[in-house]
Amino acid sequence: MRRTLALFFTSYLLWALVSQINHEISGWRVSLFFGGLFVVFPALRLKRNEGLLVAFASGLLFDVNAPIWFGCHALLFSAAYLFVFHFRSRVPREESLIGAVIALLANLGIFLGISFGAFRDLPVNANIWPRLLTDLLISQVFLASIAPWFLALQARALEIAGVDLRAEHRGMR
Amino acid sequence: MFPLRFFQNRPFFVLGVVFLAWLILPIFAKRFLRISFFELQAPVDLSVSYVRDLQDYWSLRTRSANALIAAGRDLARLNASYETALQQNVTLRREVERLESLLKIPSFPEHRSEVARIARREFNGWWQHMTIRKGRNFGLVVNAPVIFTGGVVGRVVRVGLYTSDVELIGSPGFRLSASLEGDARQLSYQGSENPSFGAARGIVEFVPLDVTAGGTGAAKRVVTSGLGGVFPAGLVIGELGRLESSGDGLFKTGEVKLDPRLSEIGEVTVLVPVRTDGL
Repeated sequence: MRRTLALFFTSYLLWALVSQINHEISGWRVSLFFGGLFVVFPALRLKRNEGLLVAFASGLLFDVNAPIWFGCHALLFSAAYLFVFHFRSRVPREESLIGAVIALLANLGIFLGISFGAFRDLPVNANIWPRLLTDLLISQVFLASIAPWFLALQARALEIAGVDLRAEHRGMR
Repeated sequence: MFPLRFFQNRPFFVLGVVFLAWLILPIFAKRFLRISFFELQAPVDLSVSYVRDLQDYWSLRTRSANALIAAGRDLARLNASYETALQQNVTLRREVERLESLLKIPSFPEHRSEVARIARREFNGWWQHMTIRKGRNFGLVVNAPVIFTGGVVGRVVRVGLYTSDVELIGSPGFRLSASLEGDARQLSYQGSENPSFGAARGIVEFVPLDVTAGGTGAAKRVVTSGLGGVFPAGLVIGELGRLESSGDGLFKTGEVKLDPRLSEIGEVTVLVPVRTDGL
């Protein structure tokens, strides 16, 4: 439970930071989306159920204010989490670069998933795609730059919570 | 025993279980989760908003006394013109009440004004929402109109204990009955996709064929028609832009240029309905 709470706290911080950045840049009709960053660390480093709870709860933070069906973000985050979890044994999980690349791919998948969810519930048409692609491109650039920092922050949060992932992984091998 | 392939794909089985569990989860549980997470976000929105106001206060403290005196003088002139308009408004209201009682017609819905600071804006490609710093603690209700000095801002879509969510008129899912200023014919306004680094805009439909946009005169203003009784009539939505024939040729469809100040306002007014019919 300690790990879940520690990682959810870091997710909450990231959500707060991104929401304030979006507030400041709203005048330019641009917004950032970092959904992939919320799922990559739990998917690569935690046990399945613990990480799933973190990913699901992180998605609910976005679902609250979204005018699409409640749970859309949470389920998409969970799907991205489980997908990464399934393939994590094939990648060096502790490398920041790998984490950043996976975060980019997960972010892309979640962003497209939300777009199609929004198309289902909102009266939008194809003219929305230039705006969405601009937001996605800018989000991916910023995500690539802050991913190593946030992954390190989450690892540090777990250390403060008294969890030593490296020792656990050595014990599991 | 389950085959090896099942264990290899167990995460996807778990995903299916999560989907099913969410679908069958009772509504009250989902509602509880939604309210809980909404209130979990409120402290961040409120505290950052107060810090921002404090920042503005200290930046104003650095202004010279002469600049503040000049600003105060300009505001006094503005207040004087508003006072005159208020007195005219009172006279007109009395005349409307006299005519309503004489002709035995129902009154227009009354509203109570609640001024609220904006805590957070969320203008992404899918929707445009704002969070304001008042909620049930000030009697706000869902679907209450939200306005500012330039006209319509949007409507309240969610009310929490201390904060509320407002859907902006530029949001694609926002619809409103409208008309052109000085024209009683009904139009339909809907928010539209807002391009990056561009101006906010909306779409107006069912525009009569004899209406034209552009020309040498001032742009026609699109205002609320008052149909449905939610938004009072006459509130400015935006300016009519270019028009083109609709697919069926019976009407025109047009673009509405929204007020650019919508993306930078710091304060809005929520019109909370006041029931005066005794129900």
